[in-house]
Amino acid sequence: MSFEPKILGIACNWCTYTGADLAGTTRLQYPQNLRVVRVMCSSRINPSFIFRAFQLGADGVLVGGCHPGDCHYNTGNLYARRRLAVTKKILEFSGLESGRFRVEWISASEGNKFAEVVTEFTEQIKKLGPQIKFKISQ
Amino acid sequence: MVISFKQIEEKLKTEAKRLLGESQVSIVLAYGKGYDENHPMPYVARNPSDVDNIVFNEYCNYNLARYLVRYPAGTKIAVAVKAADSRAVIQLIQEEKVKREDLVLLGIPVYGMKNPKTHEIIDGKTTGGLYNPVLYDILLGDEVHGQAIQSPYDVLAAYESMDKEARFAFWKKEFDKCIRCYACRKACPMCYCDPCFIDQTKPKWGDKSPQSHGNLMYHLTRFHHLAGRCIDCGECSRACPVDIPLYLFHKKVAKACEEMFGQAAGMSIEDKPALVNFRVDDSDKFLE
Amino acid sequence: MSRIGVFVCHCGLNIAKTVRVSELAEFAATLPDVVVAKDYKFMCSTPGQEMIVNDIKQHKLDRIIVTACSPLMHEQTFRKVLTASGLNQYLLTIVNIREQVSWVTHDIEEGTAKAKALLNGAVYRARLLAPLTSRVIDVNPNVMVVGGGIAGIQAALELANTGKKVYLIEKNSTIGGHMAQFDKTFPTLDCSACILTPKMDSVLQHKNITMMTSCEVSEVKGFVGNFDITIRQKARYVDHSKCNACLSCTEKCPGKGTSEWDESLVKRKAIYIPFPQAVPQKPIIDKESCTFFKKGKCRLCEKACEQKAIDFEQQDTFVQVKVGAVILATGFDLMDTKPLVQYGYGKYPGVYNALEVERLFNSAGPTGGKVTLRDGSEPKSIAILHCIGSRDKNNHEHCSRVCCMYSLKFSHLFKEKTSADVYHFYIDMRAAGKGYEEFYNRIIEEDVKFIRGKGARVTQSADEPGRLVVEAEDTITGKFIKLPVDMVVLSSAIVPRADARDIARLFNLSTDKQGFFMERHPKLAPLSTMSEGIFIAGACQSPKDIPDTVAQAYGAAAEALTIVVKDKMELEATTAMVNPASCCGCQNCVRVCPYGAPSYNAEKRVSEINEALCKGCGLCASVCPSSAIIARHFTNDQVLAEMEGLMEF
Repeated sequence: MSFEPKILGIACNWCTYTGADLAGTTRLQYPQNLRVVRVMCSSRINPSFIFRAFQLGADGVLVGGCHPGDCHYNTGNLYARRRLAVTKKILEFSGLESGRFRVEWISASEGNKFAEVVTEFTEQIKKLGPQIKFKISQ
Repeated sequence: MVISFKQIEEKLKTEAKRLLGESQVSIVLAYGKGYDENHPMPYVARNPSDVDNIVFNEYCNYNLARYLVRYPAGTKIAVAVKAADSRAVIQLIQEEKVKREDLVLLGIPVYGMKNPKTHEIIDGKTTGGLYNPVLYDILLGDEVHGQAIQSPYDVLAAYESMDKEARFAFWKKEFDKCIRCYACRKACPMCYCDPCFIDQTKPKWGDKSPQSHGNLMYHLTRFHHLAGRCIDCGECSRACPVDIPLYLFHKKVAKACEEMFGQAAGMSIEDKPALVNFRVDDSDKFLE
Repeated sequence: MSRIGVFVCHCGLNIAKTVRVSELAEFAATLPDVVVAKDYKFMCSTPGQEMIVNDIKQHKLDRIIVTACSPLMHEQTFRKVLTASGLNQYLLTIVNIREQVSWVTHDIEEGTAKAKALLNGAVYRARLLAPLTSRVIDVNPNVMVVGGGIAGIQAALELANTGKKVYLIEKNSTIGGHMAQFDKTFPTLDCSACILTPKMDSVLQHKNITMMTSCEVSEVKGFVGNFDITIRQKARYVDHSKCNACLSCTEKCPGKGTSEWDESLVKRKAIYIPFPQAVPQKPIIDKESCTFFKKGKCRLCEKACEQKAIDFEQQDTFVQVKVGAVILATGFDLMDTKPLVQYGYGKYPGVYNALEVERLFNSAGPTGGKVTLRDGSEPKSIAILHCIGSRDKNNHEHCSRVCCMYSLKFSHLFKEKTSADVYHFYIDMRAAGKGYEEFYNRIIEEDVKFIRGKGARVTQSADEPGRLVVEAEDTITGKFIKLPVDMVVLSSAIVPRADARDIARLFNLSTDKQGFFMERHPKLAPLSTMSEGIFIAGACQSPKDIPDTVAQAYGAAAEALTIVVKDKMELEATTAMVNPASCCGCQNCVRVCPYGAPSYNAEKRVSEINEALCKGCGLCASVCPSSAIIARHFTNDQVLAEMEGLMEF
């Protein structure tokens, strides 16, 4: 059987989650490897959530927020941009493939971008193979 | 130029005696005798008569900024600070944990400090590339010019040459050694949380016993908490009983932060800590 | 131990087609703490809701998971079910297996597997949910309407008639908007001014409406029920409290500016009212064209004014307005077609845009209602080019909706006012609307020529200087044609206001792909937005005709009323709080909060959060190094548990 990765998504309520809904409403098709956690803002994402996701066996983690400047909470995603950038660096410095963690700005009207990003990211994770470095073995 | 540690010690004593005698400060944070020459201890002088117990030698590495947050707000404190230590003070001022006006900074210009375990000179490794304090009230001696260092990040060269598999293997081996004594966070001037996230039970971020996944969670999260705040004193690594080179990771993160956000930790009291700040024109390239 | 009930919705076949719903319910029953798991055709229907109510009672459930459509769709519906059953509404979890599962795959295996993972995550999360108490706040009874076009006017009048106080904000010096520029309206051809100006006057006279012209919103603070909005009153250089609208100042004024109202077709004075029926009837000075402002000498208007109302020293002022709800009716811009060089707009004097033509027809317009070209001659042949910039993937993909109809109106008016031949170049005719197809048929009878093919290019005639040539492919005959005409009308795209994004940011709205304000739901909540208490009406949401705009204005007024009609309202309880025992006093929360909700208690050396200011984004919780901040409903444990559940399958 081919490798079907598990991808954790964390999406902000106002933009990316709504954009994901729009992808559904417009019946766009994308791979089913993504499981989305809804948070109110991408700035809610604690760096430890990301580390923990990889420990829980996520093969990839995709974070989605509003475009900078369009945050429902004005400046939330501007903080998130810095904090998630550092999170990404830490993962990279520790030796995890940096392609396993991705942050995308997807607005509520970008259903097609959501579908495209998920499709592309799933392909990328498939190429990277199972994530075993952080995963806690049972 | 050869550093006279004795001279610094004398100056430190003189200033401490004066400050306490004139009641300008209620305590002086400095160094005192330990169980041998190589192991001086942090020392708190409260009376002019305590001052005779102060010592200073090439093993006085402790970052005394670590102890500032222990005292009630408003306590007037004189503290001996080397280059990196002064950056810790600046960072604490930025974070409003201490007030500039409550402090008298006794700046120590110095190089040739040694690791008490290995006796190797730590210059260029964990001094942020600096030998003179960034901020001080009284400089104990003249500015010094130690061995020139191109960049505080030069020491990363060997680590940076590793590919991701080697990096992962390297850190796995190091983190697996961790016995979770938390000496790193005890030594760190910026680790003032009580409780530390890892001691929380709700949520339980990671295993508390020294298992590799709990260790990973603790260290990676701590690196994030110190991102843009670590001032490169290297105390965490020297405190570590199993010699995990934590300073390498911290330095690597500090380098990334400086590149992305254009500011190094603890260099100016006007700065805002980089990770609780933003610029509208921060680049999305940070995330690539 | 909690007692969880899982309710799986088929949504007809919407979900059931690509998720095996009964298998999902059986799976749910095996998960920890799940006491009852059922599937049903339409969970949101009355029998579906009753099923949940009964099971809550019968099985003493304390957590409810509804596995159905997006929470953005029916979370509120099911929260009410919990409340009605005596359960705290925050003990509900929605699993989105429609928008984010069944609609995005054709593979029932994949769909079912993903649905199971999502459900498992929800069970893990549900076990950690806590009941939350909603905050009750006082509601300010006033409403602000931004934009004084027909949408804003209608909404303001409706609200004012219910007794609510309304602030109507208009950036121009008169209300009326685009509709006041038109001569006739399709399909009835009734006079625009005759139906609009009485409404404008009603606004002026209404005791409940505070009309604020030459005003712009500069800052928005607060939240639903309690907005605190700063309005910038732009300097008019005329004190309207003294002005008696005699307009003798305008007679004396030597200044010459370009009339915005007449789409730059003519000049106007520097002190002016835009058009004779303007409301208010009081002039403003345009600094750019005023002789005194330019040269430091003149002041003729000041001498003419008996009321001493002229005030060259006037500055912009700022006014604070407190309201409970806001309606945005900021309208549209006509696309600038200059960049579409193939049509020669701005280059050839014979090429006009639609709004310019509206002014040519208008008896109060630059030509007194006569259709003449810029040289004063009457056109003998006129081409109307549809879909310029709209329905065009290189420019604006959307259909501007009203162009077909106003183009037909133009041809009727051209026929009425001139003896010219009129040609339409169109892609296809869109005449959906009451009486629209009938209007189209009427125009066909009027000797107007229709060429099915989009105008490709407008060039200058080589043989007859001054004449234009329209090039197009007639897609019915398949022939390429070149038609010489005297006048070309571009039915250009309706686009968002140039400052629509700025307005969206002020009010925290999303914009769609084209830049129009985004509604909360395209079908079920077309007038509300993602920002509670902010409503939209008219062409700021998408291009629309006057009947639709007016209908939306009524609707938005009713929506705003549902908020301000009550003295008090409940706010989301999903705010953040500090656990003082864990707070290390780092003050990161204080530094980052966009709303100033956290503050530092120096005595206790801990942060505290003012819940009234908190909007629940959770930023503070993520920057808190010691995990002392609890982001209610999105706590660290809840998120971690959900992640764990999601990654198990």
